[in-house]
Amino acid sequence: MNQTEIHSYLKRFFQEHESPLLEESQGHLHVQLSIDMDKALMNRPFYWHYLEKINGIPNPMKLTLITDPAAAPEDLKGEKVHFGSPRLHQIFNTAMKKGSYSLLYESVKPETASLPLKPWLNINGAVSYLCDHKKDRFFSIGLSLITGEIIEDMYETISGKNFHEQIPDYCFTVAPIIKVRSGIERIKTFLYSGLEKEDHSWASDAVCRWRKDEQLLEGFYQEEEEKPEVYYLEKEALKAQYEPKIEINIINGGLFYFYNHPLHPGKEKHL
Amino acid sequence: MKPDIHFDDEWADEFINCLENNRDLGTWSKFKMAYEAGRQRLVSDFYGLEAPKHLPDLTIYPHQYETARTVIEKMNGKAVLADEVGLGKTIEAGLILKEYMIRGLVKKVLILVPASLVTQWCRELNEKFFIPAVEQRKKPAWENIDVTVTSIDTAKREPHASVIQNIDYDFIIVDEAHKLKNKQTKNYQFVRSLKKKFCLLLTATPVQNKLSEVFHLITLLKPGHLGAEAGFEKKYKEGAAHEQLNELIQKVMIRNRRSDSGMDWPKRIIETVKIHFTEEERRLYDAVCNIKHKWRGSMETQGLSFTVLTLQREVCSSREAAFVTLRNLVEQYQENKEVTEELNNILNVLNEVQQNSKAEKVLSLIKGSDEKVIIFTEYRATQLYLQWFLGQHGIRSVPFRGGFKRSKKDWMKQLFQNNAQVLIATEAGGEGINLQFCHKMINYDLPWNPMRIEQRIGRIHRLGQEHDVEIYNFAVDGTIEDHILNLLYKKIGLFEGVIGKLDAILENFSENQLEDHVSRILLNSDTDGEIRVKMDNLSSIIAPDSSERMSL
Repeated sequence: MNQTEIHSYLKRFFQEHESPLLEESQGHLHVQLSIDMDKALMNRPFYWHYLEKINGIPNPMKLTLITDPAAAPEDLKGEKVHFGSPRLHQIFNTAMKKGSYSLLYESVKPETASLPLKPWLNINGAVSYLCDHKKDRFFSIGLSLITGEIIEDMYETISGKNFHEQIPDYCFTVAPIIKVRSGIERIKTFLYSGLEKEDHSWASDAVCRWRKDEQLLEGFYQEEEEKPEVYYLEKEALKAQYEPKIEINIINGGLFYFYNHPLHPGKEKHL
Repeated sequence: MKPDIHFDDEWADEFINCLENNRDLGTWSKFKMAYEAGRQRLVSDFYGLEAPKHLPDLTIYPHQYETARTVIEKMNGKAVLADEVGLGKTIEAGLILKEYMIRGLVKKVLILVPASLVTQWCRELNEKFFIPAVEQRKKPAWENIDVTVTSIDTAKREPHASVIQNIDYDFIIVDEAHKLKNKQTKNYQFVRSLKKKFCLLLTATPVQNKLSEVFHLITLLKPGHLGAEAGFEKKYKEGAAHEQLNELIQKVMIRNRRSDSGMDWPKRIIETVKIHFTEEERRLYDAVCNIKHKWRGSMETQGLSFTVLTLQREVCSSREAAFVTLRNLVEQYQENKEVTEELNNILNVLNEVQQNSKAEKVLSLIKGSDEKVIIFTEYRATQLYLQWFLGQHGIRSVPFRGGFKRSKKDWMKQLFQNNAQVLIATEAGGEGINLQFCHKMINYDLPWNPMRIEQRIGRIHRLGQEHDVEIYNFAVDGTIEDHILNLLYKKIGLFEGVIGKLDAILENFSENQLEDHVSRILLNSDTDGEIRVKMDNLSSIIAPDSSERMSL
């Protein structure tokens, strides 16, 4: 993310979380935090605890974030926010917490009455390959809960569409044939079988490094009949350092109701 | 092979729960923002560094970047960082730690540093790297804190030690790791007993005296890398197979030098300042020298002649420094009338000394300018005297010692930066403080270990220094200081740091201590000529190239 992207992300974030913008320039944002956001970002649990105890009038804080010091007003007091800064990190974390799960309906304006909307599951996440190094492979998978069809890069496909939390007028939902739980299982199986086919030489390489260090360790304690405690400690440390593992972590996911098949947009007018 | 796979089932359970109870379901916009936030933290490649992208305000020098990359990619996260002083080992360690934290490979971190550096490490990690490091002092909460900075002396004590040993740390950093060169010490045993998944040992002086020090350091990091101890001693003792050893060492150790860091370093301007004793001072020095010959013969007083070396050095520093030793001697030899009488005579001579020529020189050097100056002395008595002396002439100075508590050290540094012109440090104060806001240094007296000189100079000749660095070496004409400075240090090009190959120098010495050599030469030579010849010899062993250069 560059600074401009960060600026617009922050703006969207606060608008989305009922924290009105008081002032803005190309290089800064001044926002009135909502009670929720004050609790999430300002790290003052005692204040809130106290206030609730005495039934006081809440006074959430204002926050000034500087995204580009050159473009912000001179002598402005505020926090510099950049990629990697703790504040942005915290905001990203909050965003992830608040957008982890969804149930959404495609916004369509039917020309005829009674349009059926069909359920799809979308899961976004990453496969992480871990040893003494780590890399992530992103995935975004869509699964039709009617037919079981699987689409990759689901998010890219649907990100241009609009969705609402309520079902649009004149629409009804088709009941899923596949339950959400087994839908998740299917996606899991899909990911596992993909991993089955992958080349895992990275893991063999890590094991190679592991064995090599282990041999050195064995050599060092060769003479000792009864191995000292540190020997076992070192052995464990090597395992922690090198043992190859794969983790599948989920960023977020949702149950989406579509009018059209996500890959074949119809002629329906979107709201 | 296919590794084990772990799936995030918790997420799935919670998702179904939310759907069923119609709670915590985000809007489309919130869903999108979570997606964007989640995606930006993914790293798609095993290799390369992510950390610099997170640290836009940090100046990372090429050698620091390369070091971090090499440690992670080639050394698998276990290394000795042995850059010369002032090249930014802390930055390198911070970069490596940050990289592992960004990639999610490291969460629990233990950083062991000398007590005087705890605050500074915390500050740097927080301010420069946004790593929430926390100082642990009186009532530590080891389990609850992810990134802990503490002194090894606190950590190794009970009840802390056993708590720490039970925590699964992902990353351990030990600063000033040359203090772990002796495997018998509690510190060594303690660090040994920690589980080291990833580990960095930081030291500017990996070999101070003996080759075996490197062995113990590396064994701490990677047992077996240099084989077992017995085999090691045998194999490398005779100086054989050194190339092979170097190759092995380089697999786990990175040593950047000023000369090849490719940076435009501020220059070192070295000036030897010859000091001429006053008549009284000379008389005192000669009186002390006399002991050497007079008492060499008998067993009972043999110790005395060894003490002469100490006394000679002290007299060159200040009469106050010599006084302490003399008084102790009087006590020690109170049975021996002859000796006591002589010592008392010397004390009388000492009392007649009214002036300190070196101190006068200091005064003439710094008077009339308000530039900051650091004065290094080996002796506390000299330190006290100097502070008083400068005060008499209206010059504000602050003392600095290794024994100060860390808060006091921080405070002294602050005082020096803001309120005082001079900082007077004893040897133990040399480590770890960064004083790049000052660019003048006076070596009031010289240590006999070249690594310590490098440590001293490194306090001001380091990254961040904007001026050329001026170093004044004081040596009293016609004394042992003269020998050390002219016959030894100058020949091996110590101060210029041009050779900068101190480790190579000390490697040639392997099992022998340089200090011992020098002492022996000075003690066992009867004439200056003899000393000169022997010192010549020594310097050509230490640095063969440099003596050639000198003879050109």
